[in-house]
Amino acid sequence: MRLRFSLTLGLLLLAVVAPAAAQEGATLSPRALDEAALPGVMAKAVDYFIVPGYRDLSRATADLVEASAALCATPSAPALEATRSAFSDVVRKWSTIEIVRLGPALEQNRFERFLFYPDRKSTGLKQVQAILAKRDESATHAESLKVKSVAVQGLGAFEYVLYGTGAEALNGEDGRFRCRYGMAISENLKSIAGELLAAWEEPEGIQSAWKAPGPDNPLFRDNKEAATELLGVLVHSVEMVKDQRLRPFYDGAIDGNPDKGRPKLAIYWRSGNTMASIGANLRGLQTLFSIAGMENLLPGDSRSIAGSVNFLFKALISASDRVEGPIDAALADNKRRSRLDFIALNTADLLDRLNRDFGGAIGLGAGFSFADGD
Amino acid sequence: MNTGTLIDRRSFVKMAGAAWLATLGSRRAFALERSDAVFASTFMAPDGGYGIATLTEEGEIVERTALPARAHGMAFSPVTCRAVAFARRPGTYAMILATDRTAEPVVITAAEGRHFFGHGCFSADGRLLYATENDFSANRGMIGVYDGTRGFARIGEFPTYGIGPHDMTLSADGRTLVIANGGIETHPDFGRTKLNLDHMEPSLTLVDTATGTLIEKHGLPPELKQLSTRHVDIGADGRIWFACQYEGARDDLPPLVGYFAKGERLSFVPLPESTTAALANYVGAIAINRREDLVGLTSPKGNVAVTLDAKTGAVVKEEPVADAAGVAAAKSGFAVSSYDGQFISRRSPVAWDQHIVRLA
Repeated sequence: MRLRFSLTLGLLLLAVVAPAAAQEGATLSPRALDEAALPGVMAKAVDYFIVPGYRDLSRATADLVEASAALCATPSAPALEATRSAFSDVVRKWSTIEIVRLGPALEQNRFERFLFYPDRKSTGLKQVQAILAKRDESATHAESLKVKSVAVQGLGAFEYVLYGTGAEALNGEDGRFRCRYGMAISENLKSIAGELLAAWEEPEGIQSAWKAPGPDNPLFRDNKEAATELLGVLVHSVEMVKDQRLRPFYDGAIDGNPDKGRPKLAIYWRSGNTMASIGANLRGLQTLFSIAGMENLLPGDSRSIAGSVNFLFKALISASDRVEGPIDAALADNKRRSRLDFIALNTADLLDRLNRDFGGAIGLGAGFSFADGD
Repeated sequence: MNTGTLIDRRSFVKMAGAAWLATLGSRRAFALERSDAVFASTFMAPDGGYGIATLTEEGEIVERTALPARAHGMAFSPVTCRAVAFARRPGTYAMILATDRTAEPVVITAAEGRHFFGHGCFSADGRLLYATENDFSANRGMIGVYDGTRGFARIGEFPTYGIGPHDMTLSADGRTLVIANGGIETHPDFGRTKLNLDHMEPSLTLVDTATGTLIEKHGLPPELKQLSTRHVDIGADGRIWFACQYEGARDDLPPLVGYFAKGERLSFVPLPESTTAALANYVGAIAINRREDLVGLTSPKGNVAVTLDAKTGAVVKEEPVADAAGVAAAKSGFAVSSYDGQFISRRSPVAWDQHIVRLA
């Protein structure tokens, strides 16, 4: 049977899943981290998720450079379409791996340079428009572009080039400057993706720190610190989806009335990639959770927590896939809007499962993210 | 549009459930047995709710007051008998309680474009409340000034002269605010993510309470740029003690505690390597016992509480405390709490947050 996700189902789901985990939490004694299992989990997270994720991103950005070059060489509607398609692919690959917001991604502002979002006061938009209006040649070379504002060299800027006002010029000769600017952005993205991949592929670099926690490790002195970082990826990313990706454009029902939404605050609204990106965030998270074998950190009598987590991931991914079409149209449609309600409700539930149930069960304390000092 | 603030305010109202609103309206708002209550700390309850508790000298809970969301640091004014709990960064509320039960609790929300960092202090006469805040679009630390005689209305602000301010305290003469600018850039759009770990700017600043002007600023040397100066307290002799959290390589052994007096350069305490390692590059809280001239430190990451002699910097005591959270001066030595409910020798079914304030 194909499930029809709605707010009602969301509530039902909460009711069905909650008791099992709550009972487990209430009756179990304090847990200790499975020291034997942890290094293997960290290694799998690196080898099967992080490195492949950056490799995919690296390839997708290379394809984007190629498509952009072809478009600039011979402008045409099919070439524009191919570039847009390559762009959407980079968005999906980035959204899968952007959940790893630590280490090399935070150095040299790589994250913000790749994706500047949200653009609260349209600062980035204005800067991009200024580059296009003034035909700023320095923005058409990756080397001089990368030292400009983070807002004019990443996915948001490229999306405006491909879909913003005047983008139709890319079909023909009038779009030459715009195209060269887009190409410089694609080269910049490729170079950032390459740096990220290289940093994670370096055998003596961050991957060795992830794989062997210990007293001489520059990142994790013990297994617990490593487990905290790994679970932090999941917890902080679910928070990101809930608070920084969904809520800016849709805030759920307010006083019983559905929020009309703010489609132009949605990430990638111009290219219609909003929900594809949110879906890829969630897919990335579930892949990391499964492929790293995080379930193996759970004591035998608490394995059902992994079942709840996986069930929520699947339901959320399915709901994201079914909010089809441009985000403004989705917000105006009751059925699709109710799926956004479902996502809002169940990301909050998922956060609780990971933070309290999973974190507590694997020995990181009840309320894992509570224990981060400050 | 300032989405983050709006959202926080909205969720704030949602979270402020009926039970909490009822406590606001009731005369028993903060039925504190003043003779018993010596400490206050914020906590998370087993059901995930948050609150403030007052505790006895032995660590037994006297009274609890519900909070709408997680709080972090607290401050107390013995003159006006007001205690305040600040939302944890990047939170947008603070709740002020009358510990003598003469007034209802007051909740303030951060101004547009600002959020709280989780710490603050009262002026010497208790009339004003100072809060460390983030002007996040400019990435600039600010001090919000609130007037207790006008329902804690925000009457002004001035800069902390640094980025990512965290803890703040007042000099004994009440004329100087001592601010720990952790040097870490954050933005509510990115939750608690630290955005500039490879170019941090930690500093300690002294700011004139009367004029808001900078008196002194102490940056850290280049090799210690990743040492976030986060918590401060003042010794019996007026010396300012500060405690740090290191964001650099985990196998480095940076200095974690230091002191200075106005007009002096910063000095770091040369802790034994084993103590530095035990503190796990992360001091979560610092307190001075002025009567005994002792410095108390806790590390939730190192699961340890350390006591230093304030005169010599020597380690007096180092004891394991699982999930060590807050520290405050006790009759003798220090009161230490933990995330798993320990408070001195008592255990309560709550998770204590990172700080304790002394009320008496």
